[in-house]
Amino acid sequence: MVQDKSKHRAYLSLLLPAFLVYVLIILYPILMSLGLSFTKWRHFKMVGFVGLENYVAILTDPSFQKSMWNNVQIMLVSVLGQIPLGIMLAYLIFRQWVKHTKFFEMMIFLPITISSVVVALLWNRVFSPVGIYTSLIRTITDNPDYVVKIFENRTFAMVPILVVLLWQHTSLYMVIFLANLQRIPESVFEAATLDGAKEFTIIRSIVLPQLANVIFTCSVLAISGSLKSFDLVFAMTSGGPVDYTSVMALYLYKQTFTFNNYGYGSAVSIIIVLLSVGLITFVRYVYAKAQRKYE
Amino acid sequence: MRKSIALLLIVSLLSVSVVFAAGTKESSSSDGKIHLRSYMQIEPTNSQYAGHNAIMAGFAEKYPDIIIDTEYASGEAFHQKFQAMAASKQMPDIFTVYGGARTAYITEAGLALDIGKEYLTDDIKNQYSSATWGTQGTNGEYWMIPPSLAVCHVVYSNDQLLEKLGLSFPATYEEWLAQVSVIRSAGYYPVSMGNKDPWVVNSWLLSLLVDRLGGPDWFMKAARGEGASFTDTPFVRSLQIIKEMTEKGMFSPGVNQMSNTEADQEFYQGKSVYLIDAGWRTSAMDKDLPSDLKESISMHVFPALQGEVTTNTSTATVSEGFGISASIKGTAKADAAWKFIQYYNGQEGASIRAQYGEVPTYKLDLSQVKMSTMQAKFASFQSEHEMGYVFDAVMGGEGVSMLNEDIQAMMLGNGDPSEIAADYETFVSKNDFNRL
Repeated sequence: MVQDKSKHRAYLSLLLPAFLVYVLIILYPILMSLGLSFTKWRHFKMVGFVGLENYVAILTDPSFQKSMWNNVQIMLVSVLGQIPLGIMLAYLIFRQWVKHTKFFEMMIFLPITISSVVVALLWNRVFSPVGIYTSLIRTITDNPDYVVKIFENRTFAMVPILVVLLWQHTSLYMVIFLANLQRIPESVFEAATLDGAKEFTIIRSIVLPQLANVIFTCSVLAISGSLKSFDLVFAMTSGGPVDYTSVMALYLYKQTFTFNNYGYGSAVSIIIVLLSVGLITFVRYVYAKAQRKYE
Repeated sequence: MRKSIALLLIVSLLSVSVVFAAGTKESSSSDGKIHLRSYMQIEPTNSQYAGHNAIMAGFAEKYPDIIIDTEYASGEAFHQKFQAMAASKQMPDIFTVYGGARTAYITEAGLALDIGKEYLTDDIKNQYSSATWGTQGTNGEYWMIPPSLAVCHVVYSNDQLLEKLGLSFPATYEEWLAQVSVIRSAGYYPVSMGNKDPWVVNSWLLSLLVDRLGGPDWFMKAARGEGASFTDTPFVRSLQIIKEMTEKGMFSPGVNQMSNTEADQEFYQGKSVYLIDAGWRTSAMDKDLPSDLKESISMHVFPALQGEVTTNTSTATVSEGFGISASIKGTAKADAAWKFIQYYNGQEGASIRAQYGEVPTYKLDLSQVKMSTMQAKFASFQSEHEMGYVFDAVMGGEGVSMLNEDIQAMMLGNGDPSEIAADYETFVSKNDFNRL
């Protein structure tokens, strides 16, 4: 009993530094933001308590709604695009259905190693009105007014960013899935093949259940990453033209650091946290259900 | 066990103290010199600031007992760090400060010294052009001496191209519109302008149009909501002109996707006949362009508009300058900082800056200064044109940002001038500090 208590204290003492760091760096700022989100600020001075006014203003602001929708698009591309594509590419390489798998592995992984800012600059250089692609098309079609119009379209301006995100981040998931596929014993595949299982059956009954945990982890990563998207969008378009490619983090940045609306910005951050927690809880629920089904 | 936990806690706390107690260097040291910490919104590696670097070297040579330890930053990064400095009360002794609202987070928080009260005398003021002493603080405070005027509207023309096309710089807006078909059929773009960052059209074009059509009196009334508003004709008509220019193909394609630099390149490469840009672009032109191209570039203002109340004007605002921290008021450090500011803006600094292509606010006989090609043209431009206000230097940033996005949407075919004007007026009446 005494030994148990002593062990317990030792564990607590080991946990303490991490717990303190967690409180100081995560919990305290979130609680501070929550408090600030009910206030109005002007140049470092709190000018009053406004209750839920900030939240109402944010949720009814068309610019925030547009930003949130853009985040949803990023999330959909991440969860329904990057992860399935990552699995497919990993399986393709794992089953060695292409030659020179090492080469493809390296080529597919390359984009994630490049900084988002560099990626954004490269894409801008290619597709801007004075970029290589635009100049080439102008010459070929003899149309000096050609520009990539999709960048100026309110509904589809996000598409180029989504394509870049898909291209850049799929590789990360591919590597994660490939590492996990390599943990499945070869004998399992051999046995399934001997039993006459078709490839689709192998994927559905062996591969996907084995990868379920990883798919869940990747989904959490994809959702949280999507909701905090900032760097690539900022470097590529800064949310423009107008607010067509704005995302919630950019909206938050502008309100907080350009207009010094600290209370308003804090309310945006709380909304992002709530959305993240809500969505991740939903994914956990779906995962638990799926797990029960396979059990 | 308790001892172990206590020891662990002490070690953790000490580690944190060591990490966070980096502190700052002592400002007055035992060497008997005055050490000043400065934070400047300048890019010393950019050739545009060669004059600044020369002044810093000149000051260090003349005043060896004043050591200035400078940190540089630019753009948004400058403001973010400056806000953090202000919030943590770690203010530098000398810093970049704006006369308008851009650094209101410093000036309205009482962190900048009112040099108008502490140091400026009529004698000093008389050494500068009258435009230097526009309003800065709402209670008549002066935070800095503007080293130069930021001219925010110039229509640059490539005269070689104009001549080739049998055209000359238009006298009226209608004549300018009529040139579009001639220029386009010859395979050129009429006007380059990079509005990817949507403040460009506001600063470089809308300000000019509103000033021409409304004049300064109307504008100040509209800003304050005293008998005029932004739904009045001058403002709506200005927006209509921008819409018309876009629809009639005046701008090169993708004007809202193009950065400033890209628009400049398009003009320099001879793909467009005109460039709408700011006056400070002349420094880069002097450095980057071959002499024959520099010779063929002329500087103009927007052609005459029907119903304009001011004619042949450009727009300008005083540039940002250096302020002094209020926390060192009345100390030897403040006097040393003032010495630096006087050196920078006065006879010595102005002469150096003029040599590097800047037209200073200090009354300097520019005929005595050897100027480069574009700088000579810029000096002559400033003497030929009266300067109106710059819209976004007067109005609050949040409303201007909303307006800029609305203008960009209008240029992309998603907005109506009257509705944009009404939305802006609604926002200003509720939120802009000019009305509150």
